Amino acid sequence: MISSQLPVILSVANGLRRTAFLAFLLPSLAQAQSSPWIRLGAHGVLLYAYADPVPRGRTLGEVRLVQPTLMAHAGAFSDRLRFVGTLNLEGQTIPNGALTPGAWGEGFIDRRHPHTYAHELMLTAEHRLSAPLGGIRTVLSVGKGFVPFGTDDPMVRPAARYPVNHHLAQILERAVASAKVGAGPVAIEVGLFNGDEPERAGQWPNVRRFGDSWSGRVTVLPQESLELQASFADVHSPEHRLGSGTDQHKWSVSARWDGPLGGSQVYGLAEWARTSEAEGTFVFHSLLAEGAWTTARSRLHYRFERTERPEEERTLSPFRSVRPHFEDSIHGITRWTIHTAGYGFALQGAKKGVRGMPFVELSYGRMAQVGGGVFDIERFYGRTSFWSLSAGLRVDLGMTMHRMGRYGVDHDH
Amino acid sequence: MTIRLTRLMLVALALAACGDSPRTDPLVATQISMVGGNEQVGRVGSVLADPLAVSVTDAADNPVPDVTVTWSVIAGGGSVSASSITDGGGIATTPFTLGPAVGAQRVEAQVPGLLNSPVVFTATAAEEPQGSELTVVGGGNNVAERFSSDLWVHGNYAYTGTWGLRQAEGDRLNVWSLNAGGSPNLIGSVTIPGVGTVSDVQVSEDGQLLVLSGERGPQGGIFFYGLSNPAAPSFLGSVLVGEAGVHTVTLSTINGRRYAFAARNPGPPGDPADDPALLIYDVTDPEAPALVHTELFPERDYGIHDTYVRDGIAFAFAWDDPGLVIYDVGNGIGGGSPAAPAEMSRLVTSANGICCGPSVHNGWWFHNPVTGERRYLFVGQEGAATIGSQSSGDIHVVDVSDLTNPTEVAFFHLNGAGTHNFWMDEERQILYAAYYNGGVIALDVSGTLSGNLADRLISQVKPGGEGNTYTWGVQLANGFLYAIDMLSGFWQLTTE
Repeated sequence: MISSQLPVILSVANGLRRTAFLAFLLPSLAQAQSSPWIRLGAHGVLLYAYADPVPRGRTLGEVRLVQPTLMAHAGAFSDRLRFVGTLNLEGQTIPNGALTPGAWGEGFIDRRHPHTYAHELMLTAEHRLSAPLGGIRTVLSVGKGFVPFGTDDPMVRPAARYPVNHHLAQILERAVASAKVGAGPVAIEVGLFNGDEPERAGQWPNVRRFGDSWSGRVTVLPQESLELQASFADVHSPEHRLGSGTDQHKWSVSARWDGPLGGSQVYGLAEWARTSEAEGTFVFHSLLAEGAWTTARSRLHYRFERTERPEEERTLSPFRSVRPHFEDSIHGITRWTIHTAGYGFALQGAKKGVRGMPFVELSYGRMAQVGGGVFDIERFYGRTSFWSLSAGLRVDLGMTMHRMGRYGVDHDH
Repeated sequence: MTIRLTRLMLVALALAACGDSPRTDPLVATQISMVGGNEQVGRVGSVLADPLAVSVTDAADNPVPDVTVTWSVIAGGGSVSASSITDGGGIATTPFTLGPAVGAQRVEAQVPGLLNSPVVFTATAAEEPQGSELTVVGGGNNVAERFSSDLWVHGNYAYTGTWGLRQAEGDRLNVWSLNAGGSPNLIGSVTIPGVGTVSDVQVSEDGQLLVLSGERGPQGGIFFYGLSNPAAPSFLGSVLVGEAGVHTVTLSTINGRRYAFAARNPGPPGDPADDPALLIYDVTDPEAPALVHTELFPERDYGIHDTYVRDGIAFAFAWDDPGLVIYDVGNGIGGGSPAAPAEMSRLVTSANGICCGPSVHNGWWFHNPVTGERRYLFVGQEGAATIGSQSSGDIHVVDVSDLTNPTEVAFFHLNGAGTHNFWMDEERQILYAAYYNGGVIALDVSGTLSGNLADRLISQVKPGGEGNTYTWGVQLANGFLYAIDMLSGFWQLTTE
């Protein structure tokens, strides 16, 4: 798989040589002094998931290795040049997805899709302007990864269960080139990318479509632990790889806290997202609030989510939707209102650099139809509510997971 | 300021001097000629699609403006403008409302003293369609456990497909008998293993062969059944194309052999045969169908949705790109055959502002027995939809009198609903269209079709009522119009 992807990597690298990317770098490189560095890490979750009901009114429990991830981060030239690489092996461990009522996207439904092997391969160059614009920093990022839109990848957030709004609130695994300009607490990013989302774990972005979609994000940091963002994306035909599908206009607004509060480490996120598809024919909203409270070795977390999703035509497998589409139709829209609460306990490291956290997580949710359509919740699930249990062990080696969704020195954590 | 103004005037004078000298001789009109609107056909009392138009010119054929043209009806009793004045291009026009007399009607345009004056226009007025009101008389709410899809009626039997997942998967072909009054009774079904939707159904003209297409499952393809006992179709054979499935299949007899034109869907990601294609099979022996041609639509849009075949001409309906494609598959005018279709032309119809593009989906080539014309192809546009409740898409009218140069000439839009499959009463010049949540409509398509056909709507009915109607297709048979509705099943309508 990797060998088949190598020509693409080389092609991208050659392309970079021909761009202004290095020209942008040169002034910074000349000033660079510190030594290059590299950090490595790995992450995975051994997960037992149980849900009642799943499609067709049944129950289902399964054990899977999810989020198996290898990470390599490197820096050089006084950190002005950074590399972020994340290899995700879910294509091997969950080729049929991970049981997650409400999840959808990339041809999966009620099972969260596996991510692509090359989750992130991003090269970032940062340059601080000289006086009198010394307070302004500029960042260029190119490669495969997250588009400057929305919030962080759920993989790096406290709940093991993916939110329903994953495809409303993040845009990932695209060939992306983004530029960021920051001054003081404000940063503005714009990105160009290919609109097509992956169809399978081993697939690369359709490079012929690079630039057919764009996004912009404004981030404000009023204080050290508080981050506010608002973003917009115009995504061309995300669900039809050749580019003939319906377009999406996406909005996201969020507030995020990550820092000490009352003597404990507290994380909180409130986000609103909206996706309008097919020239406004279909509109999906999401409201999500989540938090985690960590003290000593214990961590409590909670998430509330109310998200609308499309009900697409499913194959004979109730967990898969037909790909590619060959009409611009859906079967309805459902709204998922879910409460998720969990507890994790950090194990004492037997060996430095190895961290473990057993956890348990319960979700309860209700489904409702929004508007018309042939999709009938009660007929399909047997009832209009569900509960699910997730229990497992998070394991991290080496470096901690980074915030997936933002690139640059000021987003190391 | 004064200096600047003087300079501007000088420049203007210089430009005027450099240009053509303005004509100073007055234009003298010498002749009048017909330029448009002749020999149209319409319903009595209707306004013809195109206005009548004449041109007034001088001896050197230069257009002469500001000439008053007098119009008058000389046969048929219709109405026109009393007069009109030629425009800058020397053209004068008038709308023509046909009178009450069926048959030829005539209008003359004259300017006294001009060569060719008066010019005489001829139009043909056809009878108002009689008894075209759609009314439900039987059937309905008779396939509760499944959503319904396509239909075909032959003799005293009908066959309907099933779609998607309701209480059960759409893996059935339902078999109906029609009683003396034409009312349907479900008498049996056939299960097609490995598919989740029976997407198209057709019976051969001789009533001996039934073909259906299957999709949404691992065993997608086309399936053949013998109808020696029409109440119990017997499996003869199949052609499987895998998970991609086949969206529609159309039977046609060409040069004494029977063919099936199958629209293979784009395959799932990674499928080695993932390009959508028009597959043409010789099914003269349905127990041994033979693929004679594969027309790929590689890396194009959503693929091919339907095919209409008549007189050895195949119309492929392939969404936004390439849209409508016209092939000679045995007609002779293009040198094509089923084994080697000869593409004659293609056309992408208008989107009409409907999301998300032209979405060329289906069609019907109108052979008008009244006029003898084979001029119009009706094309269905399947816009964005929430299946079961909302739909969009217009009917587009394409002039195919020159099959090598199809031209879109008219459209019909129904507010709040989108069109799906068609059937025609060609004798009465009425197009019946399934309109999903709009039910079924009857459209007067007599005469010349041009522009917006909104005033051609004759009748509309929602067989299952509001909230229980999402009509897939219609068919005229045995003096009734049958409709298959995804939600409310199989219906019998009258068109009296």
